[in-house]
Amino acid sequence: MDDTLTRRAQRTLAYGFLFFILIAMATPFVWMLSNTIKEQSEIFQMPPTLIPDEPHLRNYVSLFVDFDFARHFLNSAFIAVVHTVSHLFLASLAGFAFAKYTFPLKNFLFLVLLGSMMVPLYTIFIPLFVLVIRLGLVNSYAGVIIPGVAGAFGIFFMKQSMEAVPGELLDSARIDGASEFRIYWQIALPLVRPALAVLAVLAFMGSWNDFVWPLVVLRSRELQTLPVVMAGMVNLYRMEYGVVMAASLLSTIPILLLFLALQKQFLAGLTVGAVKS
Amino acid sequence: MGLTGREEQIRAAPATPLQTAQSFLTNTVDSSIMKPADEKSLRAWWSRSERKVVPYVFISPFYILFIIFSVGPLIYALYLSLHRWPGTGAMRHVGLGNYTYLAGDPVFLKSLWNTVYYAIGAFLFILPLALVLALLINSTLIRIKSLFRIGYFLPILTSTVAATIMFLLIFNNQFGLINQGLALLGIPALKWLDEELVKISVLAVATWRYTGINVLYFLTGLQSIPPELYEAAQVDGAGAWAQFRYITIPQLRPIALFVGVVTMIGSFQLFAEPLLLANGGPNDASLTIANYLYRMGFTNAKLGYGSAIGWVLALIIFGLSFIQLYLFGAFRKED
Repeated sequence: MDDTLTRRAQRTLAYGFLFFILIAMATPFVWMLSNTIKEQSEIFQMPPTLIPDEPHLRNYVSLFVDFDFARHFLNSAFIAVVHTVSHLFLASLAGFAFAKYTFPLKNFLFLVLLGSMMVPLYTIFIPLFVLVIRLGLVNSYAGVIIPGVAGAFGIFFMKQSMEAVPGELLDSARIDGASEFRIYWQIALPLVRPALAVLAVLAFMGSWNDFVWPLVVLRSRELQTLPVVMAGMVNLYRMEYGVVMAASLLSTIPILLLFLALQKQFLAGLTVGAVKS
Repeated sequence: MGLTGREEQIRAAPATPLQTAQSFLTNTVDSSIMKPADEKSLRAWWSRSERKVVPYVFISPFYILFIIFSVGPLIYALYLSLHRWPGTGAMRHVGLGNYTYLAGDPVFLKSLWNTVYYAIGAFLFILPLALVLALLINSTLIRIKSLFRIGYFLPILTSTVAATIMFLLIFNNQFGLINQGLALLGIPALKWLDEELVKISVLAVATWRYTGINVLYFLTGLQSIPPELYEAAQVDGAGAWAQFRYITIPQLRPIALFVGVVTMIGSFQLFAEPLLLANGGPNDASLTIANYLYRMGFTNAKLGYGSAIGWVLALIIFGLSFIQLYLFGAFRKED
C-alpha cells in the first residue's frame, strides 16, 4: 500500500517534470506562430495575447512581396537538393569501397577520414574563403556546395550499412560479368535504401540550415539562402517582428515535414555515430 | 593510361558537339574492328586489376576534396597567421606577431572567456538536464516515451538563425515574453540582453536547441545497458541509488565521452546565437571566439590576424578533446 503510494507520487512527479520541460520547449514555437498573425503593436502589448484580437496574414504577404521570400526559399531548396544528391552519391560510393573491398592502406585512409571530422570549420574559414575567390566560385551556388559535398560522416555512416550487404550477391554479379560500378549501383545501392533515406534527411537539413558559409560566399542578395536573408532582416534598424517570425516559421516547415515523415528511421540513424565510437 | 581508342580520337580532333556525338556513335559500333589488339590487351589488364583499382577510384573524391578544401586551407591558415594581409596587395611577414598580439588583445581575451563560459554552462546545465530527462524517459515510471523523445528533439530541426529569431521576442528587454510573465507576477522587467544577463540568454537558446539531441544520445546509451546487470543487482539486494551509481554511471561512460567531446567542440564554435541575439554585444559581453574571428577576418579584413585566432581555436579544441579522452581513459587498454 505504502509502496504503491510512493510509486504513484514518483510517477506524478516524473510526468510533471517531463511535461513542464516539454511545455517550456514548445513555448517559443507557439509564441512565434502567434506573433506571425499579429500587428506589431499587439506583439508588444501587455498582457500578451496568444490568439490575436484581429488575426491577419499581412506579415506573410509582406514576406513574399517586400522580401522576395519565394526566391530565397528556392535558392535554399536548390542548394540543399544538389548538395543532398551529390553527397549521397559520393558517400555511398566511398562507403561501399570501405565496406566491401580490401586494399592496401585501407585502415590508414579510414583513420584519415575519421580525423578529418576533427578539423574545426572556423580554423579553415578565412583561407577557404580566399580559395573560393581564387577559384572564381565566390557568389555562386557551386561555391556554397562543393567544399562540403564529400563529408566524412556520410561515408562513415554508409560504410556501416554497406557492411550488411552480402558478399555472395556481389560475387555472383561479378561472375555474370558486371562491372564494379554496376555492382555498386544496381545491387548494393538498392539494398541500403533505408540508410540513404536517413542520410538524405541529415544532409538536406544540414544544408538547409547552414548559415555561416553561405553568409560569406553569397554576396548578391538574389542568390542568398533563407538563413542568410533572415539574419539580415534581424539587423534592420527598424525590425518587423511579425514578418521575421513568419520567415522563421516558414523556413522550418520543410525540415519539420521531412522529419515527421521519416521520424523513426531518422532517430535510429542519428545515433549510429554515437554507438559505434 | 586508361584512354580507350575512341577517347583518344575525340581528344585529337576537337569538333562540334554534334560531330563528336556522331563520331562517338560510329566508333561504338565498329570499335572492335578498328582496334583489335590494343583493346584486347587493355581489356585483359582491366579485368585483371579492376578490383584493385576501383576502391581507390570510389574513395578518391573525398580525399581530393579533403586535400583541396581542408588540408590546404589548414596549412594556408598557418601561413596566413604569420603575416599581415588585408586580403589584397602584398603580405607582410610578422613572425609570431599576430599570436603575441592576440595574447594581450582584451577583446580576444573577453571572447575567450565568454566562450569558456558557454562551454562550462553547457556542461553544468544542458548535459545534466539531458541526462535527467533521459533517465526519466527510460525509467519504468514513464509509459508514453516517444512523445517526449520527439518533442524534445524538434528544436534542433530549426536553423540556429530561426531559433535565435524566436528568442528575440522572448528575451526582449522591454516587452519580451519572459518580462511580460514577470510583470504578471509583479516582478519588474529584467534586461535579458544587457551586459549582465546576455550570456545567460545565449545559454538558454543553446539549452532549448541542444538538450533534445543529447537526451537521444543518453537514451541510446541507457538502452544499450544489458538488463541482466540490473537483475543481478536486484538479486543481490542493491537499492536504486546503488544500481545507478555502480551500473548506470559506469556503463554510460562511452556515450558520455562522445557527448562530452561533441558538446565541447560545439560550444567552442558557437556563432549564430550571440550574433543574432545581441550582435556579440553589448560591449562584447556575448562575443564568442568564432564571432571575433569573423569580425577580424571579414568585417575588418585582417586575414592574418583572423587566421591566428582560428589556429588558437583549433589548438584549444584539440587540447580539450585530448584531455577529455585521457580523463575518460580512452587511451587505457582495459576495454
